[in-house]
Amino acid sequence: MQITGMKWGAKLLKYVDFPCAEVLGPEATPDEIKALIDKWGGCLIKPIFKGGIGKKGKAGLVGKATDVRTALKEKERLYFAEHTHGNQTSKSEGVTFEGFVKAEHEIYVSLTDNTIYRAPTLTITHHGGMDIEELPPSQIAVVPFDPLTGLKGFVISNALDKMNAPNEILSPLVQNITKLWDLFNNYGMTTLEINPIRIWRDPNGRLIPIACDFKCSFDGDDRNAKRLNLPETLDSIHLSDYELEVNQLRTYQGQSDVYVINPAGTITAMTFGGGANALVTELLGDLATISSDFGGNPPYAKMKMISDITYKHWLSQTNVLFLIGGKANNTDIYETFRAMGDGLRSYFNERGPTPLFVVVGRGGPNLVPGLGYLKDILDSLGIPHAMFGYDSAMSEVINYAMAVDTWMRNGGRQVIAQKLGVK
Amino acid sequence: MPAINTMPAEGQNFLHPKGEKEFPYYVGIHSLADLATKEDRVCVLNILGGESTTVTPISHEYSGGNIVCGVMPGRSGSVLKTKIGDIPVYNNVLEALNDGKKFNVAVVYVPPDGVKDAVIEAVRVNPDLKKIVILTEKVKVKHARMIRQYCQWRGVDVFGANCLGLGDAHNHVRIGGALGGNVPHESLVPGSVALYSNSGNFTTTIATYLLTAGWGTTVSVSSGKDVYIHFAAPEFTHAMHNDDRSKAAVMYIEPGGYYERDLVFKKPVVACVVGRWKAKLTRSCGHAGAIAGSGDDAASKEKWFMDKFGVKAIFTPEAPACSAKGAVVTNIAHIPQAMTAVMMMNGIKPDFEPRGDLALKCWFFANQEIALPKELQLPMVEALAPYNEQIASLGKQVGAIFPRQAMKDCSGASRMDAKTQVSQVHGVSVLDASTHTLEENLVMSLLREYPDAAGRAMANVALNAFVNHFGLPGLLAADAARAAGSSPNVVLSTGVAMIGPNEVKPARDAVQVLVDLFGHSGLSDPNNLSFDFQAQLAAAAENGARDVLISSKSGKRGKSMLSALEARGCKSVFLEFVKALGAGGDGVRDSTVLAAICCHLAWRPLIRRRLSVTTMLAMPWHLRIFSAMVGCVVPADRQDKKSFSGVDNGELLESWSFTETAFLSLFGRRPNEEELFSFSVLVGLLVTNGPGTISAQGPKGAVSADGPMAPERIQVNKAYLGFLSHTGFAHGGNGYEAIAFLMERFKDSGLADPTDPNHGLDLMAMAMAYAAEYKAYKAKAKGAGSMDYAKIPCVNHPVFKGKPENFDPREVFVDNLFKQRGSYNVFQDFYHQLVHALFKSGISREIYCVNVDAVIAVILLKMLWKPYARGEVSALFGRMIGTAAEVDDHTNRGRDMDTRTAASACSYVS
Repeated sequence: MQITGMKWGAKLLKYVDFPCAEVLGPEATPDEIKALIDKWGGCLIKPIFKGGIGKKGKAGLVGKATDVRTALKEKERLYFAEHTHGNQTSKSEGVTFEGFVKAEHEIYVSLTDNTIYRAPTLTITHHGGMDIEELPPSQIAVVPFDPLTGLKGFVISNALDKMNAPNEILSPLVQNITKLWDLFNNYGMTTLEINPIRIWRDPNGRLIPIACDFKCSFDGDDRNAKRLNLPETLDSIHLSDYELEVNQLRTYQGQSDVYVINPAGTITAMTFGGGANALVTELLGDLATISSDFGGNPPYAKMKMISDITYKHWLSQTNVLFLIGGKANNTDIYETFRAMGDGLRSYFNERGPTPLFVVVGRGGPNLVPGLGYLKDILDSLGIPHAMFGYDSAMSEVINYAMAVDTWMRNGGRQVIAQKLGVK
Repeated sequence: MPAINTMPAEGQNFLHPKGEKEFPYYVGIHSLADLATKEDRVCVLNILGGESTTVTPISHEYSGGNIVCGVMPGRSGSVLKTKIGDIPVYNNVLEALNDGKKFNVAVVYVPPDGVKDAVIEAVRVNPDLKKIVILTEKVKVKHARMIRQYCQWRGVDVFGANCLGLGDAHNHVRIGGALGGNVPHESLVPGSVALYSNSGNFTTTIATYLLTAGWGTTVSVSSGKDVYIHFAAPEFTHAMHNDDRSKAAVMYIEPGGYYERDLVFKKPVVACVVGRWKAKLTRSCGHAGAIAGSGDDAASKEKWFMDKFGVKAIFTPEAPACSAKGAVVTNIAHIPQAMTAVMMMNGIKPDFEPRGDLALKCWFFANQEIALPKELQLPMVEALAPYNEQIASLGKQVGAIFPRQAMKDCSGASRMDAKTQVSQVHGVSVLDASTHTLEENLVMSLLREYPDAAGRAMANVALNAFVNHFGLPGLLAADAARAAGSSPNVVLSTGVAMIGPNEVKPARDAVQVLVDLFGHSGLSDPNNLSFDFQAQLAAAAENGARDVLISSKSGKRGKSMLSALEARGCKSVFLEFVKALGAGGDGVRDSTVLAAICCHLAWRPLIRRRLSVTTMLAMPWHLRIFSAMVGCVVPADRQDKKSFSGVDNGELLESWSFTETAFLSLFGRRPNEEELFSFSVLVGLLVTNGPGTISAQGPKGAVSADGPMAPERIQVNKAYLGFLSHTGFAHGGNGYEAIAFLMERFKDSGLADPTDPNHGLDLMAMAMAYAAEYKAYKAKAKGAGSMDYAKIPCVNHPVFKGKPENFDPREVFVDNLFKQRGSYNVFQDFYHQLVHALFKSGISREIYCVNVDAVIAVILLKMLWKPYARGEVSALFGRMIGTAAEVDDHTNRGRDMDTRTAASACSYVS
């Protein structure tokens, strides 16, 4: 799960008493907005995007207002704003109103696991407020630190000192940035980024770092994130019903990763192994309904449930059911194929036949009994099929599946439908 | 302790032992030759876990016995058996060390949450530990950080997590996971290429692919692809350079992480970078660490390697771009060719002659008589050894063979849906089963599918043929038990006990003979009377099969059965065959007719391999027991040589269904259509309640004790005794209390006909009157301090509650079933009024459901309108169906003594 923006960022930062800009949600009344503007001299209006949205391409998607009328006008403009970066488009669901924080310094800070150092790493610069990639390396400090002791003040102090950061900001930053480790480490985060932290001088003249934007991502295997009580819907807007149903099975042994590639695809690939997943996803492209990885030796019961869910969502539109993996090390082919075969039989029993061609490429323990079991079911259901062992190149097997799909798109589907008695 | 490195300038100002000087952190592996050596000694953590018990013995045997011990909390004293000796198990690492075990490698199969603690403990107590291989997937990133730091501090190399370990083909050593699967030497063939892969599966697959170009491997490293890869591309490259055996490397790389960016190669490398398309994905699918940021996506990684190799394009067979330094491919199938091309530039020839090729080889193909385009119509190719032999034997195999496992609390036959509380047997819910007849359900319990009309008729003949027990010891014993005041369970047990193996041996032998004769004949549908069985006739005469099937001394029953089958219009290849063998039916044993019927019923699922030969052979025994269960209900004084409960034997055979016969045994008359339907519904609802019920555990225990791994030893009749001994007054008497309750309510009501909707009774007034009575009783009981007051039977349910008005879907189903037939039941109507009355009177806070047990009661009471005593047997008939399924399932799938409870799970109560 990823979180972007201050609507939820402010809530998380408050867990560790990290100061942040005053934020109102989309439900704020004109009176509340006015009070915010009166207190801070103005406000920023930012769209709320779910999931992880970077700064890139967000130019023009931040409004500024020093009066209520402008603020409401900007709210109207940005409420359903769209953000496109690369091939990903996100739609805003509301706006936040964030009080201006007048500042002389802007800081960028992030905590993440760095694969060069193989350690949690602090990235910090006092030249913040812009994309970190746009700064020269000399203006950025990247410092790995010891996860057993955590992020210590001296790490921050040394890093800023090395970059000749102004002395006056050292102490406030050292005091506050160390708090971020608690948030990062205790709640299962893999990335935490605040950009910018604006150093605000309070009425007493003290400098206080104020978080003005927020981004984080959580480790899907760490339940500690659940302690934050974030709403399930925060990220699930991006998940299809199929993905949600399969995700319920994540607690069982074995992988059950799925991603809907094309809701109108015609090849449904049940893939085993992360490597096979990468190759199959690569070669099938938009022909695929889903990208999947069901490796890791799932037991029969789990595989049967996965099959049932997958068939329920995709089989009626599928031309080629593609069961594909390399030479398995410990995934039992008999158990997994028995489950997929039984699922197919149940589907045909309950919903009647559907025009289908099954292509299989697989290797591993109990291979021939597994293929034999599936073949018996396919024969009894009248489904044409081709099965390959691991001595055929996986990419060639994928090409064959694609050729079958092409034929079925060009009239073959009707031929099979007629044979199966499907109207 | 070696010299210390310090890094005070950075945040990582910790101390760690000195390792390889090229790294700023600890790396202990100098050469790939050090990764998996003959000298390494291994301790497996969580050795008796599910995955380890499969994988560890193969690793141990392949490596010549490199695993000295394993640990698993609470299992000290156990062993993991392998073909080359037992591996001892301890409670923890310290106990193993104190027992004198010495090891330098720990392999971790611990569940995700325990991995960090297991690693720290192993490192903490064993100063000799130098390598840790973590197989576990889904380890938290937070824990990975700590594992890394702790092992750095102590100078331990970590591999994984979420990897498949290490394999050295030269040393014949495999450490950790299942590289090479269950036949490691098939993939790990000694050669000159070192293999590093982010994918465990592809480690083995690539090793196999390399063989097709004549390349073997030195070391295979499955790195894992979590966010933290502890032994990653830089460490592998360094060790590869220092390994004289490794002349080149293959690296399979996925997006995410900067592990490969700064590599400098001194030996040729083929890099396979995949995942360009995956850049479109917004979250990881597959490997957790294979999600890239902006600079570490597949395209970036391709460029890193291309720059290192000095090539401008990806290598493909059509455009083989490569240099002496290496090549980049994006398809693993191109790796062998790329390796050969690169090595040729270095003047290095393959390790051996190519083994096989990667062209499309179709092992199984079926177009199902659909005209496919030429390019899709593939020839079948003989698989490589040993798979070719397995495929050949698959063709010879008749019927299914199920994998065996401990079946104590699981079943391949029945299950209870915890959400709906509706149980299923072979995928058929009890609700659907209730719409089928007894004989259909009995056949389905064994065949996993319902018979067609012809099959149903044949089943009726087979079951009715053996129902009359006149003069048989079973009936005498049952009568004796009856006279002694035994419950119906005991009475039927004594009868069933007499259907021993000798009783059914001729029929079992006959089934075996028919399977042998027709198993490979091409017969797929025994309804196909055009099938030519001349070859089988000739074979039967030659091999002695005829003597098993035909006898000059055979009695009248076989002939009567054949006549009845004729009268019912039953046709079958098997019937025609045995008649032809016996010259028109003379001399055909009754056991042969029974066997022919069994073969007819089971043949199609057998040929489709939904059924095993074991089930086929047991079928006659089950059918005889079904007949005995019904036959022994009727006392000896109502059976004679010619009739059963007053009905002529011949009439039963020719025109009665077995459901009617069962009704006859209980009520002494043939049921009318309505009664027959009600009786079938009643029996169908009681088929099963899943493998956990006492009635299922009894027969499962009986099978387990006989030892299902030698299925011919299973005493099927004893298994039914297990069922009958595990049902009784508390379990199997569904609705008994409800009947008593309804009798009490209606005894003075003047009710004449419970099926007449114009009964003239004010049911709501009766219900309200009872509610008032109950309320007063309850208040009195509570006032007396008792919370153990009598509950109203068959209302409310622990699952179907909590709504303003509640329904048990099973009761609703049956209610609708009868309504659709225009059938009325005053008792069910009363129950519906009662739950409303309870609510109106304030006794319940919501309108309770009428539960399924009430259904059983109201159906029975409607049929009988008399004491329930005989009705109780109906429940046994119902559960007999589920018992058949469980017995057969456990026989096919179970292991010897698999229902025992480990002594450690038992407790003593004083």
